[in-house]
Amino acid sequence: MSRTDTPQKKPVTPEQVAKVMAHAVATGDFVNFRFIFAPFSPLRNDSTESLDHPKYAYLLPDNEKNSVFEQALAVVSSPEVLNHVMAQLEKKGPAQYPWQPLLLLADNAVRLGKFTMASQAYELLRIRRRMQELYLEMGDEAIRQGNVSRGVLAYRVACGLDYDYAAFPEPLPAVPNYQHTALILHGDFPETPEQALPLRPEPELVRTGLVYLSGNAEIAGRLDAFDHEIRRAVLAEWIRTADGAWSDFAARYREAIRMVDAYNRRVREIIENVGPHAVEMALDPETARLPIQAQVLLSGRTDEHQEWWQCLKELAATHPGGALFVTRAVVAGNREVLLPCYRSDSPLAEMVGLADTKVETRAVV
Amino acid sequence: MEISRTEITEERKNHYLLEIARLNAAFYILRDRERCEKYLADRREVMALEEEWRAHADDPQQSDQLRRKFDQALRHFLSTYMEELMLEAGRDPECVECSNWDAAHERHASRVLRHYRQRLYQIIHERLPYYDITAPRIDWEERKETARATLDVLSAASGAPASERGAL
Repeated sequence: MSRTDTPQKKPVTPEQVAKVMAHAVATGDFVNFRFIFAPFSPLRNDSTESLDHPKYAYLLPDNEKNSVFEQALAVVSSPEVLNHVMAQLEKKGPAQYPWQPLLLLADNAVRLGKFTMASQAYELLRIRRRMQELYLEMGDEAIRQGNVSRGVLAYRVACGLDYDYAAFPEPLPAVPNYQHTALILHGDFPETPEQALPLRPEPELVRTGLVYLSGNAEIAGRLDAFDHEIRRAVLAEWIRTADGAWSDFAARYREAIRMVDAYNRRVREIIENVGPHAVEMALDPETARLPIQAQVLLSGRTDEHQEWWQCLKELAATHPGGALFVTRAVVAGNREVLLPCYRSDSPLAEMVGLADTKVETRAVV
Repeated sequence: MEISRTEITEERKNHYLLEIARLNAAFYILRDRERCEKYLADRREVMALEEEWRAHADDPQQSDQLRRKFDQALRHFLSTYMEELMLEAGRDPECVECSNWDAAHERHASRVLRHYRQRLYQIIHERLPYYDITAPRIDWEERKETARATLDVLSAASGAPASERGAL
């Protein structure tokens, strides 16, 4: 095709720009917002990219008749904002974003749970830390008033707005990395039952759990101002609400407990009747497999050959709170596995629906 | 290899590493007259560039160029003195003798120093005129109301079935 045959791009109208920006603002999409001003953006008249191309359909709203989009469109269409945006799209070099839509975008992103988008927008507005503090203050206020679920929600939003200044090469929004932190929690093999994380004194477990789930020791430390019972309730609420499929996991966990209990009872019988040296020989293959099946239930996978740390990573990524109620143990066949474990004298396991009243589980052989 | 014999929290370890690294760097710079003068000259230059940019912040012609110049100088200053030199000081025999700094400290410190450098950049950045966005006019009473309303929306959503909840 010769140069003269190249189809001419239609000039981009302010209405199109407003619609695209309003859609990014309404959906709390910081990436699309920045893309509007990119050198190759289809909204720039000097770019060869065209907004009419189907590949850019995602930049336009599917439904313009919703209140969030209409509010965003009203903000973007104000002469002050739209004139500034159009001038920036004509300008060569880095664009200066208008603050009004950016603030609305950040608020919408928080409402939609897009915390990394929100934190980037707030960071650009230089109000991220103050917004974080605002949510933490509201969380403290709600907890003081006895509304633990609202308090936990506010704390979770504040944690979602956290930033990692040690990220390489540039600071980035901090994101949960439970599969990594859970490995650190269980890094040392428990030589005695008391060393197992779930069997440590409850105040210690609660503090560890709050630091682990919040991913920020400073934020978790604010909760030290409350009584232990309140902090325990906060942890239980956090565990339940941070995981949409917690009840399914709890059912699997209780099933795993029953398996481990059956295994423990059989091992105890052998030790009492014959002696510890006979455990390996006297165990029938079906009972010997019970701890492995329990580990499979915890991880949610069907693979029986996974190592304990693989299961832990699976567990922490899918059900972060679950990593606080498991321990490492060596079972028949000299195999190290991950097993369910909780303090029977602590109400925490019951509060999160993990306790099975029919069995007595403390330590595992 | 761990750097302490007793178990300490991550925060305390980071704080300890940063303090030792800062003391090492101070000793390393102050001990050598030439290095000390260069440090002070570089510091003065960055401060002068900041002043120059601030003075022309409203002038669109000069502002962008001055800002870039300042930003480049600031990043260079921070990476040289708040990261590289701190690690270099940890390899100096006298610093090692006084602080017992070793390879294990250096390995742990690289993330801590990067955090320190980027945090300092952020603190400086926050006091500068706005250039990447238009200067915001934040009404903190309105912010409080927005945060309250957001929590109401999220509370209502958290009562909804998991499939409708999104990230929460």
